[in-house]
Amino acid sequence: MSSQLLIQTIANAIAASGMLALIAVGLTLAFGVMQMANLAHGHFFMMGAYTVYALYALGGWPFWWAVAAAVAVGAVIGLIVERGIFRPLQGDVVSGFIATAGLMFVFEVLVGELWGWGLSRPIPSPYMRAVRFMGAAVAFQRVLVIPFAVVSIGGLMFFMRRFRLGRALRAVAQDPEAAALQGININRMTALAMAIAGAYAGLAGGLMSTIYAITPSLGGHIILPALIVVVVGGMGSIGGATLAAVIFGFVMTFVTTLVDGVTAVMVSVTVMAVVLAIRPQGLMGRVIA
Amino acid sequence: MLLEVKDITAHYFKVAAVRNISIGVNDGEIVTLIGSNGAGKTTTLRAISGLKHPSSGEIHFQGQRIDRLPPYKINALGIAMVPEGRRVFPQMTVLENLFMGAFLRMDKNAIQKDLEETVFRHFPRLKERTKQAAGTLSGGEQQMLAMGRALMSAPKLILLDEPSLGLSPIMCGQIAKIIRDIHAEGRTVILVEQNARLALVLAQQAYVIETGQIVLSGPADQLRENEEVKRAYLGG
Amino acid sequence: MSSHSMKKYKIGGLAPLILVLSGLCLVPFFLRAYLVEVAMMYFIYIILAQSYRLIVTVHDWQLYHIVLYGVGAYTSGMLAKNLGVPVFVAIPLGGAMAGLVGMAITLPLLRTKGWGFYIATYGLAELIRLTWLKFRNPFGGSTGIIDIPWPPVIAGIDFSDRIPYYFFSLGVMLLVMLMLYRIEKSRIGDSFKAISMDPELAASTGINIPRHRLMACSIGGFFAGVAGGLLVHRLGAVDPKLFNITTTLYLLIWVVVGGTNTFWGPIIGVSVMHTLFELSRPLIEIRPMFFGLSMVLVLIFLPGGLEGLISKAITRLQKRDRVAPVET
Ligand SMILES: Nc1ncnc2c1ncn2[C@@H]1O[C@H](COP(=O)(O)OP(=O)(O)O)[C@@H](O)[C@H]1O
Ligand SMILES: [Mg+2]
Repeated sequence: MSSQLLIQTIANAIAASGMLALIAVGLTLAFGVMQMANLAHGHFFMMGAYTVYALYALGGWPFWWAVAAAVAVGAVIGLIVERGIFRPLQGDVVSGFIATAGLMFVFEVLVGELWGWGLSRPIPSPYMRAVRFMGAAVAFQRVLVIPFAVVSIGGLMFFMRRFRLGRALRAVAQDPEAAALQGININRMTALAMAIAGAYAGLAGGLMSTIYAITPSLGGHIILPALIVVVVGGMGSIGGATLAAVIFGFVMTFVTTLVDGVTAVMVSVTVMAVVLAIRPQGLMGRVIA
Repeated sequence: MLLEVKDITAHYFKVAAVRNISIGVNDGEIVTLIGSNGAGKTTTLRAISGLKHPSSGEIHFQGQRIDRLPPYKINALGIAMVPEGRRVFPQMTVLENLFMGAFLRMDKNAIQKDLEETVFRHFPRLKERTKQAAGTLSGGEQQMLAMGRALMSAPKLILLDEPSLGLSPIMCGQIAKIIRDIHAEGRTVILVEQNARLALVLAQQAYVIETGQIVLSGPADQLRENEEVKRAYLGG
Repeated sequence: MSSHSMKKYKIGGLAPLILVLSGLCLVPFFLRAYLVEVAMMYFIYIILAQSYRLIVTVHDWQLYHIVLYGVGAYTSGMLAKNLGVPVFVAIPLGGAMAGLVGMAITLPLLRTKGWGFYIATYGLAELIRLTWLKFRNPFGGSTGIIDIPWPPVIAGIDFSDRIPYYFFSLGVMLLVMLMLYRIEKSRIGDSFKAISMDPELAASTGINIPRHRLMACSIGGFFAGVAGGLLVHRLGAVDPKLFNITTTLYLLIWVVVGGTNTFWGPIIGVSVMHTLFELSRPLIEIRPMFFGLSMVLVLIFLPGGLEGLISKAITRLQKRDRVAPVET
């Protein structure tokens, strides 16, 4: 590997880590608060990407407005899923999980019918410049996700520690009944968690839409890495998900560059199995007795 | 009357856990509910706090019907519960746990005042451990924290579910003293206990519950002298 | 239920069974060729759904069943093609391989719970599927394997013909159902049921839960592999796309819409949903949405599935028949 390629790959790996972290953090937050694993979470990401495609590439909106819209779309879809599926199922976590599997089909068809089934036309990047670093050129658009990931995830962690509502989210995750006894409206907290989860996935999708060729099945492809990150991090742990996102961002990017994408998934899955065989609760998960 | 439980029945699936329970609580009283394991004490408290909706009957608090309200609205009316097994938030610090108790209160100064002058006065132990994760406290300290958390909502009525369970005799004595202090401040308490001896000393009114039904009730000092109570709950 | 109504229920249950069976025996002689092929798929899917239900009873809604179906298909196909193993021997060997793989996936991850388990095992299964995709030799990569041998001629009957293969797969399906039925009624089945109702209680009565989970996953995996063998020797070809998450979603749909409480649920689920699937071919693009939505709606509004609905209707009818007991 030449030093240019190495630097480029490292930059790509950091960007991939940022993207994975943005997706996984919301997934793990929603899991922590509701004990519901949302299989359609990758589709939130995909819908974020299509929002930018529709508004910016087709509709001529300014790029940042389109990204903001993707965040809003993600949040609204999160709220709809919470209201329409998780809440009526009333804590029946297995049904919730399977229902979100059904949702994958619904979202995919919706997007496919609206914007076409095949690969969408590539979205022109609003920033053609490249960042030059030690003789290597890294596309600006590709690393754009990094500051966003750092700020959003740092902000979320701060919110969870310091803010009244953030603490309430943690309380609900640790003991919903005891939280209800403190005057916390559990339904509002699960709605908040799903809105955050959707918004973060929408943001990731919006930012990455100009790099990936987007298709309606994008959600189905991204969900496996996202789930791997969440279980390896420890389900419900935001710090764990972030750490695991960095690990797998690097593993996937380096293996993809050196070998190919299929092998990258295979290696990731193997790493996951080894970690979980040794530590079933994940890197930073707690043991639920 | 501050709280009136009228003829409630509550089911788990198809089985009635409590049947036709009626309880009256006057302002400023300690009322105790004693009975053996599985009698239905916890279910009764859960019905009052909104965690378990009764299938029939009514519950009134300060004249308002509350048996259809969700727990967070009942908390807002001034009822706080210290659940069986303490149920502190294990990964939050002692201080964070205490602030969760004040979740619905907005007046920062009043919260701070209650923290310093009520909670830390009753439980000086907690003040030394504000930054410690609640899950790492001892059982007795967790009980103190759970009670402190309940006090942080400035409740009119406190429901205590087996506060002495699993504690050393010394710790039991401390908790009993604190219950008395809390009562002396003018708060109303419903105390659920298997430790009938302790409960009947603390309370003014007592109810005996067996297999989901009230079998005996009256002033606590009278029940203490009752032959059946003596035989069944006070060990002879 | 009194012994009297029990008997009535059994007779009521046996007559339609015989009717259905004789119908199934006559059907291939009257149907168009294409529809006979479709009918065989019902048999394969019923084996899949039925064996999945066994695993669901111990709470393992795992997402790797379809990959085990693929393991059966690849194993049986490759044994027959590359090693010349007779097809009727290769199919059970494929099942055995799937059972072993099921065990191998489950064993290291048994200590993970709930989602951790579903997701981790799904990941490992995906690893297997990607192996087929990645290694052109011997798995043929994304185009898969073609020219898989047809079943042989035995006693003058050519099993590569449509109608004999129809009866062969019908027979296998009935055999599998019988075996699963026997398992359900056996002591192991009782333990499975105890686990499904209350895992903690089951553990406290001395049932070894990890061992039973492992058993359910490997027994279920064996039958999924058999289904794969049936498929591959009819299609004559196999590729990794057949076993991706989409097929898994359809499996979930059959089982959820049908219901998992009784033995009949998955049969009803496959019968109804796969019929709708075939009928909705003209709507091929939006079909998945309809199916996904129907599963979501069943989960929310009809938790017992169609089977629950039907058995409720039957009890209501029976109640109406019965003389009201005298109140004392
Ligand atoms: N979550 C539950 N599910 C089913 N049954 C329950 C549940 N909680 C309590 N019960 C049953 O209800 C009855 C009363 O229990 P509980 O109110 O906890 O009694 P106590 O607090 O007096 O020990 C018991 O028979 C118990 O088994
Ligand atoms: Mg109790």
